[in-house]
Amino acid sequence: MKSNNTVLSLAMFDLLHEWILTLCLVLAIAAVISPLLLLMGLKYGTIATLRDKLVQDPVYREIRPTQTYDYKKDWFTDFSKRNDIDFLIPTTRVSSSIITIKTPNSQKIFDLVPTTSNDPLIKENGGIIPQDNQCVLTKSAAEEIGVSIGDKLTARITRSREGRQEFVQAKLEVVAILKPRAGTMARIYTPLKFVIDVENYKENIAVSTRNWPGGTPRPYLSFDGIMVMLAQKLDPVASSGLIIGTGINGIELLERKSFVETTGFELPANLVAYNLYNSNNFVQTASYRALKRKLRGKRAIVMPYVKLSLNLPTKTQFFGLSISSKEQQRLDIKLPWGKLENDASYQKMQQLLLPNPNIETVKASFIDTKNSINFPMQVIGLSPSKYALAPVELLATLRTGSQREITFNDGKFLLARLNYGGFRLYAKTIDDVQGIYTYLKEQGIEVSAKSDEIERIKILDRGLTRIFWLVAIVGIIGGIAALIASLYAAVERKKRELSIMRLIGLSRYQVFRFPIYQALAMAILSVALAVSAYFGLALIINLVFSSDLDMGQQICHLPIHYLLSATLMTVTVAFLSAILAAWKTTQIEPAEALREE
Amino acid sequence: MSKLLSIIEMQKKREQGGISFELNVPTFNLQQGQFVAIVGASGCGKSSLLDILALVLRPSQCKEFLIHTASEIMNITEIWKHEAKLATIRRNIFGYVLQTGGLLPFLTVERNIYLPIKVKHSGYSTEDIYELAKKMGVEQILTKKPQYLSGGQRQRVAILRAMAHKPNIILADEPTAAVDKENAHIIVKNFYSLAKESGTTIVMVTHDHDLVAELADITYTFKVKHESATATSSVLEVQA
Repeated sequence: MKSNNTVLSLAMFDLLHEWILTLCLVLAIAAVISPLLLLMGLKYGTIATLRDKLVQDPVYREIRPTQTYDYKKDWFTDFSKRNDIDFLIPTTRVSSSIITIKTPNSQKIFDLVPTTSNDPLIKENGGIIPQDNQCVLTKSAAEEIGVSIGDKLTARITRSREGRQEFVQAKLEVVAILKPRAGTMARIYTPLKFVIDVENYKENIAVSTRNWPGGTPRPYLSFDGIMVMLAQKLDPVASSGLIIGTGINGIELLERKSFVETTGFELPANLVAYNLYNSNNFVQTASYRALKRKLRGKRAIVMPYVKLSLNLPTKTQFFGLSISSKEQQRLDIKLPWGKLENDASYQKMQQLLLPNPNIETVKASFIDTKNSINFPMQVIGLSPSKYALAPVELLATLRTGSQREITFNDGKFLLARLNYGGFRLYAKTIDDVQGIYTYLKEQGIEVSAKSDEIERIKILDRGLTRIFWLVAIVGIIGGIAALIASLYAAVERKKRELSIMRLIGLSRYQVFRFPIYQALAMAILSVALAVSAYFGLALIINLVFSSDLDMGQQICHLPIHYLLSATLMTVTVAFLSAILAAWKTTQIEPAEALREE
Repeated sequence: MSKLLSIIEMQKKREQGGISFELNVPTFNLQQGQFVAIVGASGCGKSSLLDILALVLRPSQCKEFLIHTASEIMNITEIWKHEAKLATIRRNIFGYVLQTGGLLPFLTVERNIYLPIKVKHSGYSTEDIYELAKKMGVEQILTKKPQYLSGGQRQRVAILRAMAHKPNIILADEPTAAVDKENAHIIVKNFYSLAKESGTTIVMVTHDHDLVAELADITYTFKVKHESATATSSVLEVQA
């Protein structure tokens, strides 16, 4: 047997021989460790339970945009590269995500929400990710229309097109109904593709895969206002009545000076002009039609207009108008193009009258925050206005471009697909929420998150950790003192035996290890006893609180690595404590064995 | 018989409690297989000599202190400061029998006997030890702990432990001091027989000359040369 093992076995036999003293010391150390483990278990278990409740409920990991923005696809690609994001999916604009769900017995309006694989809200609330022609409902949605899993719903998607209401229908199978905690709103979750198809349809774009009719995405026309010119003034009642039911909210009688300032040409003396406008938006074609209907038979000139600047390449003020030749005669102006057309060709739109026409063709460009469009125009004559004149269809198209992205290709203006209006975002853990929240705020994106709830748990965690360490430090100091005193006293008591060992031939270094081995053995026994006591007490505590906890949750719980750390720490403390006693053994001479005798 | 240990002109001076003590050893030799007795009155320096022989007490002066082994001659005066070497010599060359046995209380008799074998990594086999135990009459108590043994049993076990790792020299410091005279004679006789059988040299310190008179090959006696209230001086002389 090697001498290392000899000293180890001697140390262990001595502990066994004095088992009562050993047991007392083991109990003393265990009495220090086990309350610390219990305290740590309670601290960890309580916090872990609270955290679990937060973590398991994805609602606490959700960061929601509070305003609609214009998010491009690239933004999602870049943003989703962050490793603290668990789930990110674009959403459409609120107005495009409303659908009507029909069942044989009812018809309700729901929010349509996109989902895809790994959606935590669905996965962690008892749902399954819907595929094409499938959907998942929130509990409240399912209750409102009285459906269950396996039922088929009819989704009705409506749009308004040229004053007409249109709709299409799609069949969706309910594959899951979420737990109530997933949200109280009546929502229907479908694949993103379906949500985008719905938005396209509402935008009047045909969805060929579903045979939903629509056009190519031509930009709609947006006017700055509509000039109404009449032979005589309207009385106040008539003037107010003019805008009712037209989608227009403002009307003003223009003075002649103002008319010239706006249009760049004189108003004939036999006419008065009213400017009709929308104070918070542009005027749409539907309003123009409604107004025309109202003024039928009154010989009114109804002239939608747009006034904006184009680069030719020098910045030039434009006024856009399109009126019939009769109306042109009444206004005493001559235009090479005629009245407003809803689907005007580019051949018409490119015509241009300049106050000083010294060129024939120009490259025009329209630049604003959303667009930078270049397109050719043809100068075909002298402008009767002090401004450059162009068909209102062109300028109204460009005016739409200040709201939506448009492109110019092959002689056609096209409406670009809507970017996304928002997103659904879940952080990986509750600890990641604040970082993402701050990042988005810094990007100027208004978001909301359950930061307060998370912070409260963190504060509780920090507080309990401080208390634990305060108690632990006192306990550790007590434990170290007890160990040093006991081991030192043991060496003093065993002076004779230790000197006999030295006399028999064990070196100082070998005898040095004697109290260290004993300390380590007692530490391991103490930890074993303390851990056993901890498990027993934890079991009782968890049983007492079991009725308040979910399945698998424990109010007193320590992960295995905490127990291993506690063992390691105790053994280290025991080792350090034994060093003093071990040093004492090196002072013992073999002669003392002979003298003692 | 080959030479095992030789000391020439060794002196040890000590002072304790205001009394000075001087021990003089003109010559001291040990041959292999000898039974050497050192006798003298209490306080004459017997135990001090044994401490010096056991390499745990350093002499004040020493002209020669040699230990002879089969492979080398070790000059102890040159290695007094080398603690590890001294421990190795103690482990390999010497066996010790102390006044009350010096057994480790937490080990059984058997483990006490085996301890020097474990430390030295050599010695008698298990069967040999059992045979030796039988000769010493302690084979029945091998599993007992020292606290349950009589004084005589304890000394027998101590003798067995001292011999177990086959040392060249056994140093016995009044090994029968704690037993009655009849038992003391039996123990010493058994000790003598075992040592002779194995060729081990015994140095036995005793104040009882009768105990060793018949058995000792050489008897050294301490003679007090000078004794006063403050100083004692003794010298070791060969008696026979």
